[in-house]
Amino acid sequence: MQFSAGLTGEAATLAKTHSEMLARLPATVHAFILVELQKWPALFAPEQRYQRALLQHLSRLPRREFDEAAAGIERIEADAGVARLGERNPSRFQDEAQALLRNRGLNVAWRGEVDGFFQKIDPALEAQLYPADAPRRLVVQLYGSGIAVQREKLWSRFKGAGVRVPLDLDGTSGSEQFLQALFGARDSGRGGPALMAGAIEAAPLDAWLIESHEALHRLCERSETTGGAVTGLSYDRLRPYRDELTRALNRKVQSGVESPQAFAAYARSLQIIPPAGTLMYSADVLIAFVRDVLLTGNGTLLVNNTFVEWAAVQALRRAQPRILVTRFGVRDRLKPFSSMVLFSQPRASDHNPVVPDPAGSFIDVEQLSYYVWLNAEKNPAYRRKTLYLFLAEGVDEMLAIRSDAPQAAARPARARLSDVHATMAQWLGVPVPDGSGRPIVEIVQ
Amino acid sequence: MADWWLPRRLFAQRTSESKSTRKPERRVIVVTFGGGVRYEDTLAREGWVNVPRLTSELVPQGLVYPNARHEGLTGHFNSTGALVTGSRQNVDAYGSEAPVTPTIFELFRKEHALRPEEAWVIATNKSFGLMGGSKLRSLGDPYSANVVLPKQLLISTIKAAVSTETGPGVEDRHALAERMMLALDEGYEGFGWRVFESGRALGAELKASLAKSLLAYFNDPAAPTSGDELTFFMTKEIMNRFAPSLLVVNFWDIDIAHYGAFSLYLEAVRRTDRLVHELWQHAQSLPQYRDRTTLIVVPEMGRDSDVAGNGFANHRSGDESCRRVWLVALGAGVPRGAGTERPIRTLDVAPTVAQILGFKMADCEGRPLAELT
Repeated sequence: MQFSAGLTGEAATLAKTHSEMLARLPATVHAFILVELQKWPALFAPEQRYQRALLQHLSRLPRREFDEAAAGIERIEADAGVARLGERNPSRFQDEAQALLRNRGLNVAWRGEVDGFFQKIDPALEAQLYPADAPRRLVVQLYGSGIAVQREKLWSRFKGAGVRVPLDLDGTSGSEQFLQALFGARDSGRGGPALMAGAIEAAPLDAWLIESHEALHRLCERSETTGGAVTGLSYDRLRPYRDELTRALNRKVQSGVESPQAFAAYARSLQIIPPAGTLMYSADVLIAFVRDVLLTGNGTLLVNNTFVEWAAVQALRRAQPRILVTRFGVRDRLKPFSSMVLFSQPRASDHNPVVPDPAGSFIDVEQLSYYVWLNAEKNPAYRRKTLYLFLAEGVDEMLAIRSDAPQAAARPARARLSDVHATMAQWLGVPVPDGSGRPIVEIVQ
Repeated sequence: MADWWLPRRLFAQRTSESKSTRKPERRVIVVTFGGGVRYEDTLAREGWVNVPRLTSELVPQGLVYPNARHEGLTGHFNSTGALVTGSRQNVDAYGSEAPVTPTIFELFRKEHALRPEEAWVIATNKSFGLMGGSKLRSLGDPYSANVVLPKQLLISTIKAAVSTETGPGVEDRHALAERMMLALDEGYEGFGWRVFESGRALGAELKASLAKSLLAYFNDPAAPTSGDELTFFMTKEIMNRFAPSLLVVNFWDIDIAHYGAFSLYLEAVRRTDRLVHELWQHAQSLPQYRDRTTLIVVPEMGRDSDVAGNGFANHRSGDESCRRVWLVALGAGVPRGAGTERPIRTLDVAPTVAQILGFKMADCEGRPLAELT
């Protein structure tokens, strides 16, 4: 199948270098790879590395092995008559091929064959992309104050994984104090806590803070505005952006949409720039990421904690940061019928005030933080290399899970937040500042 | 509800019912936990807390199949389409196409020569406009079910109600109407969902009559506060006025799971549990239904598992959690306090309904559930 992908730069070079192999691929896989290459400027570095490795691996694969891997997909494509499609634009070809497979009742079988194709390839790619001696990673998940934590149910989904660490919270009464004690002092030169700045050097996309409100952002803000040292997404701070996006979508809905697919294509084409101060780091790839998170996660435009979870899962999958911190908060309660009033802004005349739902929020974040952990552990970048910490502001207990040793041997003694800070620093290989806490031995050894 | 709710034309039809029709003695109500629920969140022991009325009050009165399975595509229209046809469906997920094989409504009405008021689909999911019948040449619109999408009906009546610009507080009414319309027009899975009109349009009089109920609705402190409660309200009215032999009721608030809030999903599951129980109680209060009605309660499908799938928010992985469901039946012809581990399929619902109501359904994939027929 000959496609016209309109590639430029490195993507074009890659396609040209591997053109012979690409032409031998089943058409649907060929189109899929070209669509990924078309997104090249909007791909994160790990995604680009994966595409390079994939193409190189497939090109080096012995002919017989290659043909065997592709045979199942080619058989289904032949049954469906995919070769008769005349579309040369890979994206539109994908849509037409999917419609054809669906009409022939072959889409489930096709999906199974595609999964099988990549299951054969991925182990070799993972060994290359994620060596055992890669740097350690850290994922911290926080429940903000205000969430109605039920102690007896806290982190119950983890079913005994990791170790519960009793905490001494003396002197950390509010969120700000809690977070400062946990993450340590701000590095005035580089922005953000020294812990993060030291671990990621000069790559902001290596440390992500994703939160429903703004507490983590305030922790990391610098007096000067020369750009952040970390990547931050705040549902609250993104409000102007979310409003503009919903207005644009609403206008399109009101003017009439041909089909859900056409509407999705329109949504993906929107180029809205977040106002200054919305993002701590505002590279083009990140702006595209934010738009995609808000458009592809069903509730991300409407529910703050859903935004946090979906953005975190996508960041883990795509950007693979070395440090990820999520902070969930309280979401608003339902209004009559659904309260999820698409495109609507509350007005004085609504007589229907926004009411927080701290109890429901706890049920939500228990599930969502579990999903973030599950997704990280599905990812070879994080498996066996990551320390997961779970804390709830105001709760004198922490859950710690090491992905290389999920069952801890002994319950540690009571620790201060400065000890947790030192533990994170030691895990990441960052110097622990003098006078701060001591690493929790049961976790780091 | 006052008699004015019922269109006079339909009253007239009802009183002059032709003797050539063969309305069966039995009634069937099929209720779906639309949107899809996971076994672990409902009928598994840890899920009983979310369906207390089902497990403690309805199951003891009837028969439970804990090992039911949904086969085929795991979208809403195709899942419910399979339920009402007994065959897997593979049509547009957004509801722009009708089921491609005969529905229970068409076969029932044609074989018994019954009027449209004998078969109804009442759905919260606004993409179900074409669920009432196939477009097959020998069946199709003349034999389809009446389809009511209560939320969509309410939207049109809200528009009409506020267009008068009269009366006190009109400014607030505009604001309220706008907000309600937007809320009612939601699609939990994304933007741009359209409503596809049923080939069998509801009469203008019926629609007009709802406008009157809207005035009461605005002023009633007990007004429905969710789409499913509105569906429940409409179902009761249709039962009261027409006593149809065959009703398929789609509750769908559960699909708010797509918004990613687990508590809202569980809240909707509990609401559905309550509404199913109230619906059964309502049926028992009506002479036209008491002792002659079989209630079948079944999830539209499951939802993704946490580990193998994408989690409760979705139903697209096709994993086992997405397919494992259950079925509870009670009422006429159903043994009390029974259960069977025998595996069944949701495809079996349609031919079971056919046997209960006495019409032929020869060419579907499902098989009648012998315990219910």
